Amino acid sequence: MNAIVEMKSMNKFYGTHHVLKDIDLAVTRGEVMVILGASGSGKSTLIRCVNGLEMYQHGRLVVDGFEMPVEADRRLGGERELAQIRKGVGMVFQQFGLFPHKTVLDNITIAPMRVRKKSREEAEATAMKLLDRVGLRAHANKYPGQLSGGQQQRVAIARSLAMEPHLMLFDEPTSALDPEMVGEVLDVMRELASSGMTMMVVTHEMGFAREVADRVVYIDQGSILEIGKPDEFFDNPKNDRARSFLARVLKH
Amino acid sequence: MIATSIKWTRHNLFGKPLDVVLSLLVIPGVLWLAYTITDWAFASAKWDIVVQSLRVLMIGVFPADQAWRAWTASAIIGAILGAGLGCVFCFKPHHGLVLLLVPVLLLIVDGGLENALPATGIIASTILGWALTSYVPLTRKVLPAAAFTGFIVIVAVMAPPGVGLWGGLLLSVLLTLVTSVLSLPIGILLAFGRQSRLSSLRIICTWYIEVMRSVPLILVVYWIWILMPVLEPQWGLADVARGMIGFTIFYSAYVAEYVRSGLQAVPRAQTEAARSLGMSEFDINRSIVLPQALRVVVAPLVGNVLDIFNSAPLVFIIGLTDFLRAGQMILANPQYGDRTFEVLSFLLVTYFVIGSMITYAARKLEDHMATGTR
Ligand SMILES: Nc1ncnc2c1ncn2[C@@H]1O[C@H](COP(=O)(O)OP(=O)(O)OP(=O)(O)O)[C@@H](O)[C@H]1O
Ligand SMILES: [Mg+2]
Repeated sequence: MNAIVEMKSMNKFYGTHHVLKDIDLAVTRGEVMVILGASGSGKSTLIRCVNGLEMYQHGRLVVDGFEMPVEADRRLGGERELAQIRKGVGMVFQQFGLFPHKTVLDNITIAPMRVRKKSREEAEATAMKLLDRVGLRAHANKYPGQLSGGQQQRVAIARSLAMEPHLMLFDEPTSALDPEMVGEVLDVMRELASSGMTMMVVTHEMGFAREVADRVVYIDQGSILEIGKPDEFFDNPKNDRARSFLARVLKH
Repeated sequence: MIATSIKWTRHNLFGKPLDVVLSLLVIPGVLWLAYTITDWAFASAKWDIVVQSLRVLMIGVFPADQAWRAWTASAIIGAILGAGLGCVFCFKPHHGLVLLLVPVLLLIVDGGLENALPATGIIASTILGWALTSYVPLTRKVLPAAAFTGFIVIVAVMAPPGVGLWGGLLLSVLLTLVTSVLSLPIGILLAFGRQSRLSSLRIICTWYIEVMRSVPLILVVYWIWILMPVLEPQWGLADVARGMIGFTIFYSAYVAEYVRSGLQAVPRAQTEAARSLGMSEFDINRSIVLPQALRVVVAPLVGNVLDIFNSAPLVFIIGLTDFLRAGQMILANPQYGDRTFEVLSFLLVTYFVIGSMITYAARKLEDHMATGTR
């Protein structure tokens, strides 16, 4: 089976609020999938379900060969699958989420050492390679607070990569950045995509979506309304809501 | 210099009509008070009583020929506290000179070596500990182990003449140290327990904290003191140990509340980021959440230590002789009946000096923590 993420009529509620409605979606290995939609449409919720930061109530979600337990099962302690899934799935957040009390190097090495039980030497060697890859080798011993937003986000990407994930989730990775720093983060993501990483990206960067995405998914009020190749989606959206969404965001 | 101070005075003390009125009332009052106190302190007060009773005030009723044990323990405590200070606040030679004034002063006032010698030893070991961790950062790593060993040595050295003899300022400090050190981990566990997903654990911890916070310390100490022999007669714990247990049980609840407020201050995003890296809940709490939470509550936690120290006199209820009680005992001697003010002034000044030192160290600790995050 070639799909790394498979959702079958997945449903999620916040109390009585139906946030994700019968989601059917499959992400193939090596694919870059960009998720678009208006604010509050459920994009974050969707990708946060993939690594279990949010729980879903009905349907099915298989990630990297492991079945993600539904909420009722997780309350009964179905945490083993969760741990397995999280090891193989990296996530980058809008607000970076770096640990402020640890140096850049320690931010990157802590999970490989604690979760994958790597030795410090090995973890640090990997970390330095990754810092090279995101262009921040010189900042290894600084604290996150001493870095710019763009640099922090690149460290966050390196930190996720250190766990050698099969899938990377990005939730608006550039939305909290000053405009002049957006480019450096997108460059790293571009390089990552071309290296063959499977990625699910929520973003408002339409240029990036069009250039890098293999497929674009459009969500509105918790339902997938359109899914297809970026050129088709951007040039010729079939759905009315998608069309008016594009008209709104492309105007800026 | 004079011009600026006149300016400062005019601006701050006589700026507005209300300031003028207040200043005209308060300044003469303060001057009169200062004059009266100085006059009394240097002209009429007879300080010899303090010098003569210094040993009792410091180490209680320890027999004179065994006093070396208590002094050794004090020196070890000095070294531990100094070493702790050195981790966050670098030692400078002038600090040493100021500290060494204490034994010099004693030598001048007393004229003999009986007090000056132990004082020199205590101060010297404090300076040694302070300088060691200041200049040799490697020693900071072994400090917890060294402090623990030091504590064992203290107990071993002080125990032979009888644990019931422990007293004075030494007892107050020991009680404060033991309670502070023990209540921190217990308080942390209680704080996590109060947030646990297991509802039984959560309810137990919540009840414990709420009950302890709504009863007086003195009652808890007394209850523990009378209950322990009933519950565990074969243990035969000394009064001192029972007192320390009571203090720890009581103050753990307060530590728990401070820690909980710190835990709540750590953004959810931190936990989520750590979870997304696959870290276990235990690792997340230990390495990501707790360090950030403690950083936020350093000030209230140190305030708690000060609180413990200032509450130590309450151990009189179980028959122990702390610093304050030692002062009272001296005054109970009819021969010294007219020296109440001298002794009480000494107690007041000593409490004030120690309290301000704790507050000062707390500020240094906060500064130190703040630079770590930047
Ligand atoms: N913790 C929560 N409790 C209740 N409702 C929530 C919670 N988190 C999100 N929601 C609701 O779920 C819906 C989807 O939210 P989500 O954050 O997934 O949207 P989004 O598409 O990521 O929006 P944005 O572009 O603003 O990030 C929204 O209506 C939101 O109000
Ligand atoms: Mg979102």
